[in-house]
Amino acid sequence: MTAQNKQERLLDVKGLTVEIDGRRGPAVVVDGIDLYVGKGETLGVVGESGCGKSLTMLSLMRLLPNKIKVTKGTAEFNGRDLQTMSNRELRKVRGGDIGFVFQDPMTSLNPVMKVGDQLCEPLIYHRKMSKADARKRAVELLRLVGIPGPEERLDAYPHELSGGMRQRVMIAIGLACDPKLLIADEPTTALDVTIQAQIVDLVKDLRNKLGMSVVWITHDLALIAGLADRVVVLYAGTVVEDAPVDDLYANPSHPYTRGLLASIPTLSDAPAARLSSIGGTPPEPGRRPAGCPFAPRCPLAMDICLREVPKLEPISSEGRHRAACFAVNTALKAA
Amino acid sequence: MTLVQTNPIITDDEPPVSLWRDAWHRLKRNKLAIFGLCVIVVLAFAAVFGPYLTPFDFLSQDLDARNQAPSLLHLFGTDDLGRDVFSRVVYGTRTAFLVAVVVTAIALAIGTTLGAIAGFFGDPYDRVIMWLTDMTMSVPNLLLVVVINASLKNPIAKWMEAQYMATLNPFYRETIWIDFFLVFGSMALISWPPYARLVRAQVLSIRSRPYITAAMALGLPNRIIMMRYVVPNALGPLIVSVSAGLGTAMVLESAFSFLGVGVNPPTPSWGNMISDGLRVWQHYPHLLAAPAFVLGLASVAFSFLGDGLNDALNPRGSK
Ligand SMILES: Nc1ncnc2c1ncn2[C@@H]1O[C@H](COP(=O)(O)OP(=O)(O)OP(=O)(O)O)[C@@H](O)[C@H]1O
Ligand code: SF4
Ligand SMILES: [Mg+2]
Repeated sequence: MTAQNKQERLLDVKGLTVEIDGRRGPAVVVDGIDLYVGKGETLGVVGESGCGKSLTMLSLMRLLPNKIKVTKGTAEFNGRDLQTMSNRELRKVRGGDIGFVFQDPMTSLNPVMKVGDQLCEPLIYHRKMSKADARKRAVELLRLVGIPGPEERLDAYPHELSGGMRQRVMIAIGLACDPKLLIADEPTTALDVTIQAQIVDLVKDLRNKLGMSVVWITHDLALIAGLADRVVVLYAGTVVEDAPVDDLYANPSHPYTRGLLASIPTLSDAPAARLSSIGGTPPEPGRRPAGCPFAPRCPLAMDICLREVPKLEPISSEGRHRAACFAVNTALKAA
Repeated sequence: MTLVQTNPIITDDEPPVSLWRDAWHRLKRNKLAIFGLCVIVVLAFAAVFGPYLTPFDFLSQDLDARNQAPSLLHLFGTDDLGRDVFSRVVYGTRTAFLVAVVVTAIALAIGTTLGAIAGFFGDPYDRVIMWLTDMTMSVPNLLLVVVINASLKNPIAKWMEAQYMATLNPFYRETIWIDFFLVFGSMALISWPPYARLVRAQVLSIRSRPYITAAMALGLPNRIIMMRYVVPNALGPLIVSVSAGLGTAMVLESAFSFLGVGVNPPTPSWGNMISDGLRVWQHYPHLLAAPAFVLGLASVAFSFLGDGLNDALNPRGSK
């Protein structure tokens, strides 16, 4: 058996499909996504803005806004389907087993509640802690995420903290109940580069200390190079490539992934080499082409690409590197 | 792991204890709001205890001392029946607060319920409720009130009279109840739509804020999310509009009295005193000035307090 099957899966998503009820009828935003996260593994989820990264994660936890619905698929956490479990059970998983760190630290904290109280709330509710114990634990958590003077910060309102501090508070809230899985949705987009690096280091450190699994969503491939064990590349609501991180950098296969990597400036690159970033924009949900969603922007597009949807297929002998592209698969068979 | 200490946080001089205490700290620094609050406290005191403390009864006439100018004995002078204007203004405060509090409470109850249903459950409730709101707002206020009065006052008065004849219960002789019923009822009927709209908008906008999703992602039950995340964020604007609404209700009652559809004499209200005073103001300006001044003061006080509360309850805002 291959390595991927031996590794125990903490989160296993199969065929997840999400639709938006728009004015022009329903539009598929997340189109039958398969992904999994092993125990202790860190998964990077990469893709351009609007490709459905956030909606995928929100739909796992049944947190989608009105008019956006999961229409197909399962999402098993520790062997139990999150999509069909009762609200009561789901509430235990939310915040208890799965911690969530949201994209925007400016709007994801309750503006009229002190950060200490926001930190204590899940502890009191899930862990049945007393107010005093919860506050002690909150101080520990703030210290853990590197906030100086945590005792005083407990009584600060979110607007009294800088963006980086707020992001750390969000991470502390996500970690409050020692989750088995931390889902971080672009936790560093709003921050400047130095703080980004600090937060990445921080999560790496915490993951090693606490042994949890992490899903780190980003549109920045360079950022997760040193953090993720495995990377899933999303395009227009589908998985186009899934590979161990080293494999992905050494041997990117899907034309979209190659385009993404080419648009990362590296020190050794000649200026001309960087310009090969992908032209055009991803298709809007509801206006996706019939065949391969990437076809309109793909330099390798063939006839079949316009008619049929490529499946995610193994392209390396261990089967851990998979891609959804006719060109790649034909090349493999020919070889 | 190396962590650079970034932007130190800004803390208040005193460590805040709760949102409300915090808001109170900010409110204390706002002089106009504190002025408004003081005026309201004094007026409220007058409304509750005033009638027991004034030197004269608001009804007792002294025909030898009619239309007197203000003096030490009669602080605001006397009216055409020789009644002490100060005592009447004080009693009018009670009427004003009664009208304002009852009307605002009814309007708030109707408005909050309808607004929350519309915002929370959406269509079809939303559509029906918003239609009702727009309809009510599009009818000219005074017209509505005059129509209600004209059509209901006589039937009710007749019914009360009949009840009195049948039971001899003196309660049915108190025409003041008809006034209050009609005044309260019609004022509440025109005052609820702004509350409904406000609450609906608040619920709608707060429900889709990221921090609500974040709270749900923490697995907190709806009860806690409602009480600690939705309500406190919706409350600020509502408190502000209630404070302003109390002042508006007092002014509205005066406008009604002026049209003869408010609280009727002999029960003193600032409104009916102003409307009486207007007839003779060239000769006895104090009869107009006294109630008008107090009404203006009350209305300004409520709006200062409302503005102050708005700033105080919003910790994000600049100070
Ligand atoms: N509340 C919503 N109503 C309608 N459409 C939405 C809503 N939220 C997201 N979408 C659409 O769904 C698609 C996927 O959105 P999603 O937020 O998952 O993207 P993303 O990959 O997280 O992008 P970003 O990197 O910008 O966060 C986008 O095209 C977006 O326009
Ligand atoms: S399937 Fe065709 S269009 Fe799609 S990425 Fe591969 S080559 Fe390009
Ligand atoms: Mg997103």
